[in-house]
Amino acid sequence: MSAYIRPRKIEYDAIVVGSGISGGYAAKELCEKGLETLVLERGRSITHGASYVTEHKQNWEFPARNSKGSKMHKKRYAVQSRTYAFGEHSEHFFIDDSENPYVETQPFTWIRADVVGGRSLLWARQCYRWSEMDFEANARDGIGIDWPVRYADIAPWYDYVEQFVGISGQAEGVESCPDGVFLPPMPLNKGEQVMREAIDRAFDDRILTIGRTAVLTRPHNGRGSCHYCGPCHRGCTPGAYFSSLSATLPAAELTGHLTLQPDSIVESVLFDEESGRATGVRYVNRNTGEWHEVNARVIFLCASALASTQILLNSKSARFPEGLGNDSGTLGHYLMDHHFETGAHGELPGLEDYYYKGVRPNGIYVPRFRNVSAATRRSDYLRGFGYQGQAGRPNWSRPMRGFGADLKAKLRNPGPWRMFFEAFGEALPVYENHVSLDPEVTDKWGIPALRISCSWTDNEMIMRHDMQQAAMEMLDAAGARNIKAYDNYTDNGLGAEPGLGIHEMGTARMGRDPETSVLNKYNQIHAAPNVFVTDGACMTSSACQNPSITYMAFTARAADFAAEELKKLNL
Amino acid sequence: MDRREALQRIGILVGGTLSASTIAGILGGCSAGPEGAAFAARTLTDGRDELVAVLAELIIPETDTPGARAARVHEFADSMLTDWYEEEETARFLAGLREVDERANADSGAAFTELSQAKQIELLTEMEDEAYAWQEAGQTGNQPFFFTIKSLTLFGYYTSEIGATQELHVNPMGEYRGDIPYEEIGRAWA
Repeated sequence: MSAYIRPRKIEYDAIVVGSGISGGYAAKELCEKGLETLVLERGRSITHGASYVTEHKQNWEFPARNSKGSKMHKKRYAVQSRTYAFGEHSEHFFIDDSENPYVETQPFTWIRADVVGGRSLLWARQCYRWSEMDFEANARDGIGIDWPVRYADIAPWYDYVEQFVGISGQAEGVESCPDGVFLPPMPLNKGEQVMREAIDRAFDDRILTIGRTAVLTRPHNGRGSCHYCGPCHRGCTPGAYFSSLSATLPAAELTGHLTLQPDSIVESVLFDEESGRATGVRYVNRNTGEWHEVNARVIFLCASALASTQILLNSKSARFPEGLGNDSGTLGHYLMDHHFETGAHGELPGLEDYYYKGVRPNGIYVPRFRNVSAATRRSDYLRGFGYQGQAGRPNWSRPMRGFGADLKAKLRNPGPWRMFFEAFGEALPVYENHVSLDPEVTDKWGIPALRISCSWTDNEMIMRHDMQQAAMEMLDAAGARNIKAYDNYTDNGLGAEPGLGIHEMGTARMGRDPETSVLNKYNQIHAAPNVFVTDGACMTSSACQNPSITYMAFTARAADFAAEELKKLNL
Repeated sequence: MDRREALQRIGILVGGTLSASTIAGILGGCSAGPEGAAFAARTLTDGRDELVAVLAELIIPETDTPGARAARVHEFADSMLTDWYEEEETARFLAGLREVDERANADSGAAFTELSQAKQIELLTEMEDEAYAWQEAGQTGNQPFFFTIKSLTLFGYYTSEIGATQELHVNPMGEYRGDIPYEEIGRAWA
């Protein structure tokens, strides 16, 4: 620690840790309110457009034709290569696992980006509002603690962020999945149209709609519309999909109040006991190894759920020996993710005369229909799930016996239409699913690493049976053939392990009572009111919807509150 | 790719504004790749590249479009075996090739590449039947070599420029249409 640089005065109004979905949004909001804002990002600097080095590359332009699983991948990306989004076309955005270890006592996949923009570059872009039912769920079921907010508190902020983000989708009037501010929907394909009609005919309790996605179907706020090339997560130069790089960071930059500093790994938040306020953060420059402190009046932790909690756990002081804001002992606990990798698929006969053109970066959605009313109440499990999926015609990669000219001729045509349903289910918050600091393991810079202990509860495992059954019922109603259910879960193995959903959340939950929660209803640490945590760490329950739009809404709301409180000199 | 088409495609992407370097790149030609560059096997030495080329061409032969040999599947295999697979996977592949030659020798007293095509097809069919019997018996462990060489050939061929643009077509970007008559397209997307 030869080089240690301490600040002499308050340098910024606000520090935002992380530049992903939440951090980018915090930066935009705080800057637009006139606050001098420093964004500290652990990842390297990349540039919108110029850094999208694999955008529109054809398979044959990659050494291994856009594969994953090389001996290099196994060494440096042993965890990251478990996700669908990882491969030759995206490896440069992911964290190097060999330098950034964590301990998984049971399989837990922690997917992390390591560039400016974070996982907003890599996300699947699906955006579904929570409903009243979701915010009431814990109180109703007597599980965990009650949310300190309700849908009415968040709804205006959904409106607000959706207008900026740009979400294409179809309004359907489904109570469990409220409509939002939508751009024109992408079209369903032939197989999905047939499926939608079949579900309308056969079921009163569910619908199939086109995915609601943060991909533009017309120009919006200076960004271009989708050109249907397919793999968004390589980066999109026209900015058709929402990311921090395409949208929030440029908006923050435009105000003249943004300082964006990459390569800066925040270790801890500094706390002043006398004032009862955080004073700044301590971070290391990943390239030089130099440690720094920087001060600000307000701090937003948006490093991603587990990384923000890791920072809090590493922020030990006389006042907070177990981590900043951890008076309740709940910091690190109630870790959740969505459980998926289960559902069913089947062939839709009679549609061989139809095909599609262009690659739509979006699928279908079946909003939650279990435990949404007295009539849909299940006796065997709590909460529910939604389906994502799509219909398509498999190409040469489908199994086909034989070889020679005959095989080649058959593979010249696509296979029959096949409809896939993949369920995404809610996981209950339980104390035992938690993270702590490992007593021995550190990262390359000496920062104590996380030890993650998480497994699905019986409720999730029972739900998984129904996730297959209900999908098979829908396929059957559409006259599908060759219906196959699947579940990739393996006991204490990989396939459908927690974390793989990349919706990890909780560990610094919101609540009304400082005795049982870390954050209040404005994402403010109860006992350190100038520290806000607005990423997935704040979640008190998980619902079953993809969470990013909810993080954005919470972030914008908290930034608004923080700016008002700063004005009133309350922070 | 046709240069006019390439320009149009890029035009869509950046809203009609082309940077000088992009235009120079496109006008410089699309196939700046190693087409025509001499191939020197790094792992498939001692004629084993020829054995892979023969097997791959039996699986995807030249018809009205080029086959696996023209698409250089054997060169792709050499690159995967050298740079991509773990040593153990590579060793297993090379053992599979040895077994092919042992089978040819046992049957006809010659290396596989020296047999008549009819004989080669007969032996490959035998390998396929054994592979499916293994699968149907629900056996576990390392898959039979037939499955390995077949999947590598299909992958190498259909992800090659020849396989993806001459035999099949690359799904073009621009717009999405979800229910067009198949006859308008006529082939599977690569």
